[in-house]
Amino acid sequence: MAVLVLLDSPLPRLCSLLQRYWGRLKCGLLPGFSGGPSPPWGPALAVQAPALLPQPGNYTSEDTEVPSLLDSILWMAAPKKRRTIEVNRCRRRNPNKLIKVKRNIDVCPECGNLKQKHVLCGYCYAKIKAEMQLIRKEIGKKEEGPFNAPTVETVVLYNGEKSTEKDEGKRIIERARKRPSWFVRN
Amino acid sequence: MRLSAAAAISHGRVYRRFGLGPRSRLDLLRNLVTALVRHERIEAPWARADEMRGYAERLIDYAKLGDTNERAMRMANFWLTEKDLIHKLFKVLAPRFQPHPGSYTRLLQIPNRDNIDRAKMAVIELKGNPFPPLIRPRRDTEKTLLNQLLKGYREDMQQSAAM
Repeated sequence: MAVLVLLDSPLPRLCSLLQRYWGRLKCGLLPGFSGGPSPPWGPALAVQAPALLPQPGNYTSEDTEVPSLLDSILWMAAPKKRRTIEVNRCRRRNPNKLIKVKRNIDVCPECGNLKQKHVLCGYCYAKIKAEMQLIRKEIGKKEEGPFNAPTVETVVLYNGEKSTEKDEGKRIIERARKRPSWFVRN
Repeated sequence: MRLSAAAAISHGRVYRRFGLGPRSRLDLLRNLVTALVRHERIEAPWARADEMRGYAERLIDYAKLGDTNERAMRMANFWLTEKDLIHKLFKVLAPRFQPHPGSYTRLLQIPNRDNIDRAKMAVIELKGNPFPPLIRPRRDTEKTLLNQLLKGYREDMQQSAAM
């Protein structure tokens, strides 16, 4: 009302505009205010047409959508600024991201290959494994079938070796080759 | 009284979890113990070999009680799935380890498995097995500096004692 008094004759168009806006404010359709849902009103048409135009449908969805966006707590996290290359370098080159240097690598005294200090040498172990496989094949031939585990100890003898008094009650496994240097007889 | 039973905290739990459940874990370990008694040296993932070691040593302790002992026989019957190994256990392994007070097995780590999983593997063996030894104890040669100095000192002492 005060608006009408001030702007009297010089700007009748502005006056009507302001009047309209005032009306919209009261209805609560102005975007600045989050009012309750108001009945959708559109321009009155001379032609017979549905008062509810498609736009009011959008208005209602927008109406219900806008308050939920503002009220909801679920804001998605997003970076505010571009990470500079200096910051990126600091993060990527931090010692906990770099590959650690191993200092527990030694040389095997038997074969000269590299080995870790607390682990058996791979080459020597493969050598022993191959020999053990041949010994097991001989054992299999002697046992002739599954589930025939002997009730006596076992001894492995190589070419030209005789059993001593220590190997008396034991089962003898013969291997047809010279005794390797790393298999000491005891 | 236990005030809390937090399921996600495992402080102080000594037994590892294997397989599909507690029964499956025991079956797994039982298979490994049977294999160890049969072959006397086996290769297995390090965690399983480590877990199995305790069970194997306790089984040998039971076997040392003698095969007339009812409890020992029941233990051996449960833990060894292949029944000819019960004879081997009581007739071969028990006398072999009679003089030893404990630690009948040796656990050594080997290089990681060649598969895509690169698992940490170990070889576990009973002491006194007939196979080639995995570690050869090395003694320093006489030619090292320390040994030469000690040899010289020993000879000096002998000379002064002789005079």
